[in-house]
Amino acid sequence: MANGRTDLMQGTLELLILKTLSRESMHGYGIAQRIHQSVDDLLKIEDGSLYPALYRMEERGWIASEWGVSENNRRAKFYRLTRAGRKHLEIERANWDRISQAVTKILQTA
Amino acid sequence: MSAVIGRLFKRLDSRAVEREVEEELRFHLEMLAKDHCQQDVSITEARAFALKRFGNVERIKDECIEISSRNHPLKRLFKSFLILTFLVGIFVHIFGTHFKIVRVGDVLMAVAIMGRLFLYVRGLKPSSFRSKTESLYPLMLNDTGTTAPTSLRSLS
Repeated sequence: MANGRTDLMQGTLELLILKTLSRESMHGYGIAQRIHQSVDDLLKIEDGSLYPALYRMEERGWIASEWGVSENNRRAKFYRLTRAGRKHLEIERANWDRISQAVTKILQTA
Repeated sequence: MSAVIGRLFKRLDSRAVEREVEEELRFHLEMLAKDHCQQDVSITEARAFALKRFGNVERIKDECIEISSRNHPLKRLFKSFLILTFLVGIFVHIFGTHFKIVRVGDVLMAVAIMGRLFLYVRGLKPSSFRSKTESLYPLMLNDTGTTAPTSLRSLS
């Protein structure tokens, strides 16, 4: 936290990926860029850490991948959210809201 | 249907999986370097930035390959087959009436144990079972790009 950037909590990256993919299908680089833009570089996320997370999520059936052509005519692997992924996003989002509310409450009162 | 079968067998080929992972990571690294190049920095600096921002390429590649191959349907089938073989081996060993039949049970159990051991050892260090000839490091750090299949020269 010394440099003003915070490490991600366990499972948060998956939530960020699910949310990013809920709008449209994207390749890994696009997802990373979108996340960096959204969090204004406040969170410390190594781009590479995205890929094991993507592969794990695909394994669990939350996302599906397909090779396609990127905006600069390069072959790239595109990821999209599956129905199970959308469902999981809703659950995780509700969980996140509950946890953040609870922690905020404790921090305000303690 | 043919696409599904094609995909299934492609995933069985560990080199194909590795190539796919490499291509995906290479795309990301090249895009990172390319975008950084537009900020008036040298190619070398852009590559260094890309590598720093990306993290440990080799470790990430290994992790992706491992995840990609560990839950392959045929691998799961093979594991189930090993369990079944082991159980049949125990059954034959216990209830075998003849010496030779008991030995068959022992062989079945040994085959199952060896198979499981093989899968376990193979899963320990996936990188040691693959060639390092197409490592992503030379691709990103080589200035001339001569050793890499696709180089960053196109970015200049």
